[in-house]
Amino acid sequence: MRVEALDRAGRSDRLHGRWMGLLAMLTLLVPLLLIGELLVDGLPALGADFLLSAPTDAGLGGGIGSVLVSTLWVLAVCLGVVLPLGLGCALFLVEHVRAGSRLERALQLTLDVLGGVPSIVFGLFGNRFFAVELGLGFSILSGGLTLACMVLPLFIRAAEQSLRQCPTGYRQAAAALALSRWGFARRILLPTAAPGIALGVVLASGRALAETAVLLFTAGYVTRWPGSWFDSGRTLAVHIYDLAMNVSGGSTNAAATALVLLVLAIGIQALAVALGRISRGVSA
Amino acid sequence: MKLVPRNLFFVVTLVAALFAAGCSRQSGEHLVLTGSSTIAPLATVLAERFEAAHPGVKVDVQAGGSARGVADVRQGLANIGMVSRALKADEGDLVADTIAQDGIAMIVHRDNPVAALTREQIIAIYTGKLRDWKAVGGTDAPITVVNKAEGRSTLELFLSHLKLEAPAIRADVVIGDNQQGIKTVAGNPQAIGYVSIGTAEYEAGRGTPVRLLPLDGVEPSTATVAAGRFPLSRPLNLVHRGELSGIARDFVAFARSPQVNDLVTGQYFVPPAVR
Repeated sequence: MRVEALDRAGRSDRLHGRWMGLLAMLTLLVPLLLIGELLVDGLPALGADFLLSAPTDAGLGGGIGSVLVSTLWVLAVCLGVVLPLGLGCALFLVEHVRAGSRLERALQLTLDVLGGVPSIVFGLFGNRFFAVELGLGFSILSGGLTLACMVLPLFIRAAEQSLRQCPTGYRQAAAALALSRWGFARRILLPTAAPGIALGVVLASGRALAETAVLLFTAGYVTRWPGSWFDSGRTLAVHIYDLAMNVSGGSTNAAATALVLLVLAIGIQALAVALGRISRGVSA
Repeated sequence: MKLVPRNLFFVVTLVAALFAAGCSRQSGEHLVLTGSSTIAPLATVLAERFEAAHPGVKVDVQAGGSARGVADVRQGLANIGMVSRALKADEGDLVADTIAQDGIAMIVHRDNPVAALTREQIIAIYTGKLRDWKAVGGTDAPITVVNKAEGRSTLELFLSHLKLEAPAIRADVVIGDNQQGIKTVAGNPQAIGYVSIGTAEYEAGRGTPVRLLPLDGVEPSTATVAAGRFPLSRPLNLVHRGELSGIARDFVAFARSPQVNDLVTGQYFVPPAVR
């Protein structure tokens, strides 16, 4: 009797296992379908020429060279602002603010509110503040700074979490060795948190790369090769949106551009993971 | 020791500031156009050709909607606005120059015996109240309703002309661009759809089995669209306020000249009749 019940339980467990496996396979199917569709639509248009030349004929001809460069510039400006500011803020939150204090609660609330603001609001703010009030116009700088405002809370949260995961033992050992607070942060805390911080960079740049509305209002729509960061420059996501929605017959190049964007995002992820691993290796 | 990183931070900031000052904006004439995302691709190719003919001049095109074009011109943020409709009564402070017409035609398969549809019939078909060709004088066959995907400017024009809301449409097939619309209708004798009139006329003339339906008694052709008589059309305007600067005046004149007709038709628009 009991054995039979156990057998039944075992069988239902196996059945459940199979169901879960099937569901997992289905989730795997989604990225496969997505990439397959992009490959079928976009691969014929993809080539060295496509990557190196500027778009002509509203994106139907030429390539995406200038768009790719603009995207990298915008991303560089964004990360250049977010990394020092975000790390500083996360270190301050972890190292200098007493948990539960009024300051801590105020900062956390601000971050939560900022993190929940829809991106289009940042777009309008960036257009008003950076492009109009500060006179930066539609430019790579406006776009990068607006994106920085948008992804800052996301990055601070990720960095803060990985900093908090540093074992208390390390802290106590550092204190016992009379290590200065900064020395501890630089030599021990930051290297141990590096993989988490790298993940923060991936999340931040992923969100920045995906953004269209924000950049349409700030970095702009111009497909010329950017000469300086005061020039307007179209990013990959904006280019895809425009080709898919406003240009008749643009779907092939839109798919090819999407493939490039996908490769770029995966590349950044691989780079960040590798960097995180290296900096941890150095500390050990 | 403790001060070192702080100094480093200042140095980095200083270098960044110097770098920023170093690549200041280049001199030379600079023209900014903002507005309708329907016109933006056309304006981009116009700007490309204009820049090639006028070395040292930069024409920046920014998309963001017709309303934005009007607002930016009023605030002086843009030299020229792009507005994909006729100016409204309260926009009398602006001057509009039409650079192209955007027209759409209702198309059916060439073998479809229905010669014309009234506005009410089209509304009934697209809202799913009329599902059979027999009811409008055709063969006894169900109607395949072909609609454009959300966000397309042709869909907007179609909806605003028939005073319909997007959720009211009951479509059997949703298509992306004009070519897809032509292919869908050409391959299905029971289909009805709408595409850019330039494309439809070109394809019908080339022997593709599609037929353009007249609307409110007006012949569907690029000629009636260009003349502004075809009801399902709208002007694509460049708007400005007050006197235009030399280079801006040149650009508007260039955009209206016959030498850019190929660019206008290349974007499936119709060049205006009076040039």
